[in-house]
Amino acid sequence: MELSFTDDERSFRAEVRRTLIDQVPERIRQAVREEKPLPRDWMIEAQQVLNRNGYATPHWPQAWGGRDWSAVKRAILAEEIDRAGVPKPLAFNVALVGPVIAAFGSDEQKRRFLAPIANLDMWFCQGFSEPGAGSDLASLKMAAVREGDQYRVSGQKIWTTYAHEADWIFCLVRTGQGGRQHEGISFLLIDLATPGIEVRPIRTIDGYHHLNEVFFDDVLVPAGNLVGDEGKGWDYARYLLGQERSSMGNVGFSRRRLDRVREIAGPLLDDPAYRRRLTWAEIELKALEITQMRVVANERPPSAGPDPKTSILKVKGGELLQTAAELLLDALGPEALTAGFPDGADDDLFQGLDARSGIVSAYFSSRKYSIFGGANEIQRNILAKAVLGMGRSA
Amino acid sequence: MNFEPSEDQQLLVASVARLFADHAAQSPPDPAAQWRDYREMGLLGLPFAEANGGLGGRPEDVMLVMEAFGRTLGRTPYASSVLLAGGLLETIGAKEMLAALIAGEGRPLLCLHEAGRRYRWDVSATAAQAVDGGWILSGAKIAVLDADVDSLLICPATTADGLGLFVVAPGTAGVTVERRPTPDGRHAANIGFDAVRLPPTAAIGDPVGNRAAVAAAVDGAIAATCAEMVGAMEKLLEITVDYLGTRQQFGVAIGSFQALQHRAADMLMAIEQARSMTIHAVSMLDMAAEERGAAVAASKALVNRAARFVGQQAIQLHGGMGLTSEYPAGAYFQRLTVLENLFGDTDHHLDVVEAAGGLRAA
Repeated sequence: MELSFTDDERSFRAEVRRTLIDQVPERIRQAVREEKPLPRDWMIEAQQVLNRNGYATPHWPQAWGGRDWSAVKRAILAEEIDRAGVPKPLAFNVALVGPVIAAFGSDEQKRRFLAPIANLDMWFCQGFSEPGAGSDLASLKMAAVREGDQYRVSGQKIWTTYAHEADWIFCLVRTGQGGRQHEGISFLLIDLATPGIEVRPIRTIDGYHHLNEVFFDDVLVPAGNLVGDEGKGWDYARYLLGQERSSMGNVGFSRRRLDRVREIAGPLLDDPAYRRRLTWAEIELKALEITQMRVVANERPPSAGPDPKTSILKVKGGELLQTAAELLLDALGPEALTAGFPDGADDDLFQGLDARSGIVSAYFSSRKYSIFGGANEIQRNILAKAVLGMGRSA
Repeated sequence: MNFEPSEDQQLLVASVARLFADHAAQSPPDPAAQWRDYREMGLLGLPFAEANGGLGGRPEDVMLVMEAFGRTLGRTPYASSVLLAGGLLETIGAKEMLAALIAGEGRPLLCLHEAGRRYRWDVSATAAQAVDGGWILSGAKIAVLDADVDSLLICPATTADGLGLFVVAPGTAGVTVERRPTPDGRHAANIGFDAVRLPPTAAIGDPVGNRAAVAAAVDGAIAATCAEMVGAMEKLLEITVDYLGTRQQFGVAIGSFQALQHRAADMLMAIEQARSMTIHAVSMLDMAAEERGAAVAASKALVNRAARFVGQQAIQLHGGMGLTSEYPAGAYFQRLTVLENLFGDTDHHLDVVEAAGGLRAA
């Protein structure tokens, strides 16, 4: 038992912090700290700095650019990236599709996709949810029918973050009608430039455009873009969800938000009621930081599927980001009304907004943390069943 | 970081779990025999340095022991005497009293609280005056857990030179011990000192450094209490989940209802966060006083809140059964409530954290 960070872990943290501050331009880190949406080329620029240092894909197999770092070190890295205001490496690329291709893809797919995915030369988005398949993901309907050496794909995906920025989408599609819902699902990579695909924006309550609907109308996809075996997509999706958990609790992000609270709250820090809310948030964050380390230190093979205790990180980490967003919003007081809010007319809203406007948007957008990736109610089901062994819901 | 118990620690956990389970099953309990068992297993010397006759155990070893203690609702004065008073004796270098404690021959208790001062022990209305041939101690202490008329007491008192620590032997003239049952079936005492004459040797430690020594001992005891609470909460959740799986209503086990499952999941999350914060407290015990104090206070605040939530919800989920004293859930709730109060309630510890400037990251 070693309940503190080792000297090696501390010096790793210091080195990462120094590297990030030295190499990622201040304009990018400031925009992240102010919670503004970043221009696409800035996201790419930041990820390429991370990738150059081995920071984008440390959990990948070493043959494909991974590093031999312990899970604790990877968690430290993830925390420092967030804390320094560096955009996280694009999760769809490095945490989701990359590891699936590395584990189940053909050699040709690995050669074609992995390096560009790590370097964000190729931007992937995730096509899982459908209008009728949210928490009940296995009920998805988008069909891919095999015709010779290609698939004909028709259907709709929704809540697709960054589909309007992405080059590719990885999709769960229905290739067969198995006996059970989970059967007959396959994992398919689709080039968004293929004819028949339409991306439509969904504007969200934070005033911005991150989400989309993606429509597929008789889209022809080469059969070589199927990852692994036909009908095994559900297994791959489960594998993917069991992947990198080292930043699941968003510890560094919450830390950055709470640091910002202290920067902008001013005299409110002397207000007993406000200060107590901040004190609780800081205590919760310390607890979460250690819970995160406990979950990641308990390394399991990805094939074992997600550790059900990851659900604790998901729920608590999301709640804390929401609490921190509330503290920030409340710190603005009446200025929140005139800090600026995107009016919805223009996608290129980045320039010219007040430095505090991101706080207002972040309050609204933070409601997503208890919804996406399995709503908190689903996480509680998982905890009750998989950890506590309780019976099925009545 | 590595949260896995070592082989030695696993052995320690297995043997104390067995011992504490045996003790819990004793009817009637034999406290003297239990204390001998503690001595034979090395628990009385566990937290103390080898140079002081102890086993040189680490705070995380104590954490593991106290977690097992909490799971079985242990009743011995281990925390109050060995961890709190013993910890203080080691810090101030009172080697003879410490040796007697480790040998199972003396069981000192620290009298921390006074009426009307809530949890602030650092300023003492109880005072000691130096006189020819010794001291005169006057005042009163309250809520001394496990104290009885035959207890060996360590009493902090204000002196001309600072905070004194005075050893008061059982049966000393002028000492009154009013013993009361605590809600968890143990006892605590209010103790009066009416112009008690003490010999010069009664003063131990050093009035200049005693306050810091008591603070360190209290912080160690708080971390241990957090571990005890985590053990008790975890066991209480197991009892509750078992009950939900057994109790049938509307033709099904009530544990199949989602509302109750989600409540249990919330209890689990509260316990896991409490466990993490306990680990934090334990890992900070070697740090400088202010940093240590803030970390320990933050931990007790969060563990307290978890204990209140888990305790109350366990009773709620047991329905009427939770209100009966024959069912074990109530005993865990009672113990958790006592421990929540011990060394400071939630608001007190939040005040401590805020006075230290909050809990910011390094």
